[in-house]
Amino acid sequence: MSLTLLYALTGTALFLLGLRATLLHAGLLARVVALNVSGAGVFLILVAIAYREAGQPVDPIPQALVLTGLVVAVSATALALALHRRLIKEQAHE
Amino acid sequence: MSDLLIWPIVTPLAAALLALVWPSRATSIGIVAAGLTLLSTLRVAWQVSRDGVLELALGGWSPGLGIALRADGLSAILLAMSGLVSMAVAVYASVYFAGSAQRAGFWTLWLLLLTALHALFLSGDLFNVYVTLELMGLAAVGLAALGGGREALQAALRYLILGLLGSLAFLAGVAVVYAGFGSLDMATLAGVAAPVPAAWVALTLMTGGLIIKAALFPLHIWLPAAHANAPAPVSAMLSALVVKAALYLVVRLWLEIFDGVVTSAAAWVIGVPGGIAVVWGSWAALRAARLKLLAAFSTVAQLGYLFLFIALAAGLPAGEPRAAVMTALVLMAISHGFAKSAFFLGAGIVMQRAGHDRIAELGGTARALPLTTFTLALAGVALVGLPPSGGFLAKWQLLTTAIASGQWIWLPVVGLGTLLAAAYLFRLLGHAFAPGEGVGPRLAVGREEIPALALALTATLLLGLGAAGLWELIPVSAYAGRGL
Amino acid sequence: MSGLFTWLPDLLLAAMLVGLGWATVSSTDLRRSVALFIAFGLLLSIAWARLRAPDLALAEAALGAGLSGALLLAALRDEPPAGAVPEGLPRWLRTLVDLLAASLALALAWVLWETLSEPAPARLGEAALSALERSGVSNPVTAVLLNYRAYDTLLELVVVLTAVLGVVTLGRERPGYRRAGPVLYSLVRWLVPLLILAAGYLLWIGAQAPGGAFQAGATLAAASVMLRLSGIDSAGLPNGLAGRLVLRVTLSAGVGLFLLVGLGVMGTGRGFLHYPPAWSGGLILLIETAATLAIAAALALAFRGGRPAGWEADDPDHSPRERRP
Repeated sequence: MSLTLLYALTGTALFLLGLRATLLHAGLLARVVALNVSGAGVFLILVAIAYREAGQPVDPIPQALVLTGLVVAVSATALALALHRRLIKEQAHE
Repeated sequence: MSDLLIWPIVTPLAAALLALVWPSRATSIGIVAAGLTLLSTLRVAWQVSRDGVLELALGGWSPGLGIALRADGLSAILLAMSGLVSMAVAVYASVYFAGSAQRAGFWTLWLLLLTALHALFLSGDLFNVYVTLELMGLAAVGLAALGGGREALQAALRYLILGLLGSLAFLAGVAVVYAGFGSLDMATLAGVAAPVPAAWVALTLMTGGLIIKAALFPLHIWLPAAHANAPAPVSAMLSALVVKAALYLVVRLWLEIFDGVVTSAAAWVIGVPGGIAVVWGSWAALRAARLKLLAAFSTVAQLGYLFLFIALAAGLPAGEPRAAVMTALVLMAISHGFAKSAFFLGAGIVMQRAGHDRIAELGGTARALPLTTFTLALAGVALVGLPPSGGFLAKWQLLTTAIASGQWIWLPVVGLGTLLAAAYLFRLLGHAFAPGEGVGPRLAVGREEIPALALALTATLLLGLGAAGLWELIPVSAYAGRGL
Repeated sequence: MSGLFTWLPDLLLAAMLVGLGWATVSSTDLRRSVALFIAFGLLLSIAWARLRAPDLALAEAALGAGLSGALLLAALRDEPPAGAVPEGLPRWLRTLVDLLAASLALALAWVLWETLSEPAPARLGEAALSALERSGVSNPVTAVLLNYRAYDTLLELVVVLTAVLGVVTLGRERPGYRRAGPVLYSLVRWLVPLLILAAGYLLWIGAQAPGGAFQAGATLAAASVMLRLSGIDSAGLPNGLAGRLVLRVTLSAGVGLFLLVGLGVMGTGRGFLHYPPAWSGGLILLIETAATLAIAAALALAFRGGRPAGWEADDPDHSPRERRP
């Protein structure tokens, strides 16, 4: 068992915990949080793949991909929350 | 060097920025940009038909380390369809959103959606595809929510959450690909993908994410509400192009990159839901109370056919018959693209005139809006798959291949789907030709009626009669390592 | 025994990540779940540091835990007081979801075990490092983001722009916060200049060391969030009618400059985004500077939750509905 494997498996667990919760939760905010946890799991898998023991340089490509993914996740979260807020307003009008 | 590959992406993107800083001119910017983008897509298609596969290594780095854009027959055809459909939608939207407070917002998001679609069709890198998928999803959701109102917002929210889940599954698949094969470049992967566990799991994850976005039964639940409650020009883009983008990726993965990994048993996994979608979607369209809902359910059914094609092609060995099925699949996809966008634009015209789109109350439409009624009927012909439309040729190919390869089970499915589609078309036309005042008095033909008609004519006449060109373009593939 | 001892911190960290993740997604109290999520993000940035990804540790703290957390906390205010809990899924479907998640987890774990137990194959990392001296920067992650895969980053900036345009078309911003008391106010007056300085440093240092446009942009946005929380409604963004154009230009600056550089180098006979090696460093810094400002403006707007007053020339009070009854 290597460090890569340990964190890749941790990422797997988080990915599916989040995925399951996204499908099962009914409230929007809870779903967005679950999606973010799930995304973190996938990122962890990618960064674990990039890891090398001290002395060898790590693979920068998956790390850059995760940085891209992080920014995408924040953007999506912002849009989901704005939609949710507008929906609450519409429902209050009725 | 094929610098011309960047223009279908860069043109709408630059225009989106321009529309953002100069909102009062957003409509003109949008229309001019749609025209220029159309020219750039046609240029790419023409070049592919002349020179074969085009590749552009961005930044001068070899693909793998860097990202490559590629255009082959499949992407060129879809790109050209996108250029044509969005040009028509742009003309229509310039009338639809005239004077609306959401005009500037619509045009920037619409141009960004176009950027995402073209970037996706041209991308040669799996992670880059993930970014384009996210971009397409966010732009599409922003547009779908423009309708306002509780139903549209709820539908957009569900669309967003499921879409994000889909992209996440896709990304997980990309991670497995990188762990297993050490590359993200799709052409490299097509050469090294072998039937090993990493390939199976990666393909499962990516396909799972994509069929959410492509709304394959039973994961279609988000589609009808999202497509039916969006403003008409947006519905046209979503049904004609956005779902096709996800489908396009399934085709790439199943029939080209992971061709050696997909077994004919696995093909049933998408074939059976596809078959159910054909029957169920058509049935729901027949029972739909609203015109746009009818169109949306019909999209579910049409996507079912397309997945049937993929399953059928995946079960065939490489060679002539398989290339024929692939071509029929593409013909069906673009014929649906033109017909459904025409249908949604027509529905939008009826809706703006009548103030509603309840089918049972559409009496008098044929008298008040003869041209639009004709458009709806013409688009319907292509959706049902009557001759001489492109849909007819495609279904014919589906049936002959199913018979030749002994998969008789699909015959009743296609037959039933076609009968139900004919039924929902005639139900609609029956109401439209009935007497009534629901749509108001007859007026002169408006500018907004022309683009829908042009799209419907393309689907029914042009594609049916000019399909021969597709047969030459489709085998030009950038990724089919083992040959079609 | 010594094996277990060196493994202990990592086992602990992994267990805490899974435990905290589980607690976050299974809490029924939204406030609690958001708070746990922020803690989860901080723990995650320790994991990034442990996995030798300091760029990500910085970004996670600023973006993942920081801004996502701030967005979620602000959204908690929007929840209706006694929100009717929507209907959950039927039991058979819940069981199906559980089965699906469990089988996917097993399959994924099995495949990762198979692939990652073997010594890592030559992936692209080696190529990325050997081309580093031609990239114009010495931080490999920045080289990937702004040179080898610059096109990804361009599209990613488009994603940020698209999301924030979606946010502003959806409605007007949230009402501002109450003016902060003197203590908080003076703290903010100290912190904001520091954050701006830190952002500038992160941007500059990103060429050689961990940092870059995303971390810098998020730090700047954090400064804006602080201003907003302390009751300064404009939060450092250009405001009102005069600022409308400035704000729109800033938002599009990241993508715009990227495009200009990409197309500009084509004028020298090279391909799109193919920088002349001698210029790479400078061009990358130029792009990153514009990107930092654009990201900061976008994230700050996203935190406000809608379009600010004066976003449109004739801002309608209510967004009109579709012409449908």
